[in-house]
Amino acid sequence: MIKTIDLKKTFHGRGQVVHAVDGITTHIKAGEVVVVIGPSGSGKSTYLRCLNGLEELTCGHIYIDGVDLADRKTDMNKVRREVGMVFQQFNLFPHKTVLENLVLAQTVVRRRKKVEAADKARTLLKKVGIAEKEMEYPIRLSGGQQQRVAIARALAMDPKVMLFDEPTSALDPEMVGEVLEVMKQLAREGMTMVVVTHEMGFAREVADRVLFMDHGKLVEEGTPEHFFTNPQEDRAKLFLKQVL
Amino acid sequence: MNSYRKDWHWRLLTILILVVIGAGLWVATSKVNYTWRWNRVPQYFVYHHETVKRAVYDSRVIDVEEFGNSTTVKIRNQFDELETFTIDSGTLKVSPDESLFAGDQIGSIFKWEIGPLLYGLGVTLWISAISSIIGLIIGLITGLCRLAKNITLRQLSIIYIEIIRGTPLLVQIFIVYFFFGTVLNIDRMAAGIAALSIFAGAYVAEIIRAGIQSIPKGQMEAARSLGMNTPQAMVHIILPQAFKRTLPPLAGQFISLIKDSSLVSVIAITDLTKAGREVITSTFATFEIWFVVAFLYLTLTSVLSQVIAWVERRLAVSD
Repeated sequence: MIKTIDLKKTFHGRGQVVHAVDGITTHIKAGEVVVVIGPSGSGKSTYLRCLNGLEELTCGHIYIDGVDLADRKTDMNKVRREVGMVFQQFNLFPHKTVLENLVLAQTVVRRRKKVEAADKARTLLKKVGIAEKEMEYPIRLSGGQQQRVAIARALAMDPKVMLFDEPTSALDPEMVGEVLEVMKQLAREGMTMVVVTHEMGFAREVADRVLFMDHGKLVEEGTPEHFFTNPQEDRAKLFLKQVL
Repeated sequence: MNSYRKDWHWRLLTILILVVIGAGLWVATSKVNYTWRWNRVPQYFVYHHETVKRAVYDSRVIDVEEFGNSTTVKIRNQFDELETFTIDSGTLKVSPDESLFAGDQIGSIFKWEIGPLLYGLGVTLWISAISSIIGLIIGLITGLCRLAKNITLRQLSIIYIEIIRGTPLLVQIFIVYFFFGTVLNIDRMAAGIAALSIFAGAYVAEIIRAGIQSIPKGQMEAARSLGMNTPQAMVHIILPQAFKRTLPPLAGQFISLIKDSSLVSVIAITDLTKAGREVITSTFATFEIWFVVAFLYLTLTSVLSQVIAWVERRLAVSD
């Protein structure tokens, strides 16, 4: 479903060249839950942002459902409709109520009717467990509630893939559980997911496959069982020793 | 209430200082032998205008009928034609069967008319309102161009902003009126409004740019990740939030614009300032009129800031 071929992304700044993503090749199948882990600055977030075109690719290719993101003729807005994204900082729209946050893109991008969009929004809010907050403004919600709204907002577009960029990193510890629970439920329903996270427990329990990145390179990949119990690479062993 | 009880003596001091300043001004003016004639001022807001009705030809009064406030006078002129005049009761100068010569006064009609100060206030309000709206549109477009990916758009907007912000408004008004006014054949009112709009636009552009840049990057990314294109994200996500943040500086800009509009009086537009100058030439009540003019500007600007404060409170629901 998502084919990445020799993806490279370099940043130029203050006379320095940073190879954030340095030649990644991998294939993510439909319905698969892939967790990307690695030390900070290893390029995992950048890789994720490349997957929905928030970063321009320096070279290489990403095919989502056969559509090449590196092709200049590709309409990125069409691609992004099919790829939902959840951010570390939630990025809810503060001037809109929770319901409006979910309805807006449906009506503007998917051209759905207001009523239809609101129905879908309410169903999704119920699913993530905050149906009673639909008229509140995001600022009045806790971090965990905001992140669940953000997940519902992405789901409202009926994406084929969901990308999660450290969804629990900005949360108070007691709110991490409620967000992970929603993500687990999504995984059980067969959603294709790419998750960048530091939650090793989640990776172990939910992931079909773990990608370990360091310095922009894909160092090791495998099933969680294999990765957490019997890593092959020294860098991965060192990382696991530090985080577990 | 509690704080009021605690610091009443400071409030008293404020009042005392104002009284002392006022007394000082009063003493100073009495030293220069100035006669204050405040009673002359109100007639320049509104006045009772008298229109005198006269017989056009030699005639004879046939009939006088009074209906409350108005009186109807019927006369037959030398060509044997019947004429009817309606005048205010009490101003009647003729009686039935009287012979009139051409030009004789029959009576008069009184009407309340707007005086020059109120007219000038209206002109100032009109010029400021129109220039604010056009300035806002110019500023919005320029502000967006300033942040555009295209280099030409960016450079053109920077050149425009720098030229306008780097030259005096008075000079701009002269250039627009004498140069563009002559070349493009536009009248003084249009020239005045154009100069003020272009001036305000440059400042509004910078305010809008700052407002847009103050919105976190994540908002644009979230909008784009939902499949919105840049214009959609701008209209639905970025601009509404930026508008809320730019409201206080925009209000300041529009209040400045009301005050700056007094400069168009130099190209002979009869705004509040020019009206004040004209009234002074006929009354010599220099001090009174300038104080009144200042007070009228103050009224306009305070009303505007109250309105904006109200809008701000309305928009604060999502904070």
